[in-house]
Amino acid sequence: MSETSLWPRVTSGETNWYENELPRVIRPHRGHPVRTLTAISLVLLLASLLGISSAYLVIEREQPLNAVTIGPWQAYPKAGTTEADPYSVAIYTRGAVIPLASGEGLALVARVDSNEHLLDPTCVYRIAGQTPSARLWTLTAVNGRGDLVETLPGRVHLVSQNLLRAGDGTFEITAAASPQSGNWLPLAAGANASDGLRFVLRLYDAPVTTGAALDGVSMPVIERTGCP
Amino acid sequence: MTLSPRFTLTVGILATLCLAAVIHILVVLSIPRNVQHSAYDNIATYGIDRQFNLLPDVKPGQEALPDLDPAMKHAACRFQLADGPVLFDASIPVSFWSIGLFNAAGEAVYSLNNRTAGAERLSMLVLTTPQLSILRENPPENLEDLIVIETPEPISGFALLRAYVPHSSKADEIDLALRAARCGTI
Repeated sequence: MSETSLWPRVTSGETNWYENELPRVIRPHRGHPVRTLTAISLVLLLASLLGISSAYLVIEREQPLNAVTIGPWQAYPKAGTTEADPYSVAIYTRGAVIPLASGEGLALVARVDSNEHLLDPTCVYRIAGQTPSARLWTLTAVNGRGDLVETLPGRVHLVSQNLLRAGDGTFEITAAASPQSGNWLPLAAGANASDGLRFVLRLYDAPVTTGAALDGVSMPVIERTGCP
Repeated sequence: MTLSPRFTLTVGILATLCLAAVIHILVVLSIPRNVQHSAYDNIATYGIDRQFNLLPDVKPGQEALPDLDPAMKHAACRFQLADGPVLFDASIPVSFWSIGLFNAAGEAVYSLNNRTAGAERLSMLVLTTPQLSILRENPPENLEDLIVIETPEPISGFALLRAYVPHSSKADEIDLALRAARCGTI
């Protein structure tokens, strides 16, 4: 691979075998075992580093790829079935998560608000609108790792049956760490912004899980109303 | 033959990227086979196989399994079809309950809720195709009333029964109903 030959220019004799004027492709190749070995190990090392770290990042994000997105809400109807893609299989088995099967219901997760800002457990959110028709639904606040958190009143969820609603069936929920009037979804007491926040809406016995398309259904909006 | 440094570099980068893609795919595909605690393993810690074991209430910091609904009570039953057919029988006095059947890999095999079950009582029989043909030769009286789920292979797996708790005053009654739920031989 050396371009500038250190060999003396000789115009005759056997040594002009290394003549520089020969076109590059037919110039003879002199092996550099150490250099070749270094190059190959470098390629191997970089490739394993790149391959393993990219796999780790995708799995650690815990967001299966084939999500159905409705506003800030995401659902993974195929996760936990035999039709799941390899990424969601890896994510679900690694977390030992038992999904809601299609005959039971559908879980929708929000990691961002309607303005695409990451949810912050120290803020106050207004969740308003209506859900796809379901016999029962629950709304739960969990942290960024999907675990439940301690709240002031001890409960971490709201159930559709106990909700105060407007005359047209729409509802308005205030998610905050401190007590609120109306429908209050308690958030983690004494949380840091870095703990993360997700809202999980579980629709039970809903037509959207049993065939009907998820497109065009109306989901509640999530608005940030205040931050400390 | 001597290659130019630029060509060598390009080949090197391409080789790195291709190899990285192969390693990425291998890592992702190998994760399910190398997890230490699958849901199937975790459920074994709550009691013996072939009976419904009540999982502790879903509360912060003491979740039995990840991603369960705090508004529900859960009972789980592990079974191996190689040991014979499994009959699920439960009567849960709440407005909503559902059951999901999962194989050892955690994939949903079958699921239903109290509306799609068509009756207030859950009675469901899970067996393999050969076991069903043996059973048909000498059918039990209530075979017609059972929801029969046939699997081509003798799978190992678990069932998760979820019962909605409308109010904490009903919690004890639901606990009893879940404990009384049957998951065993016919």
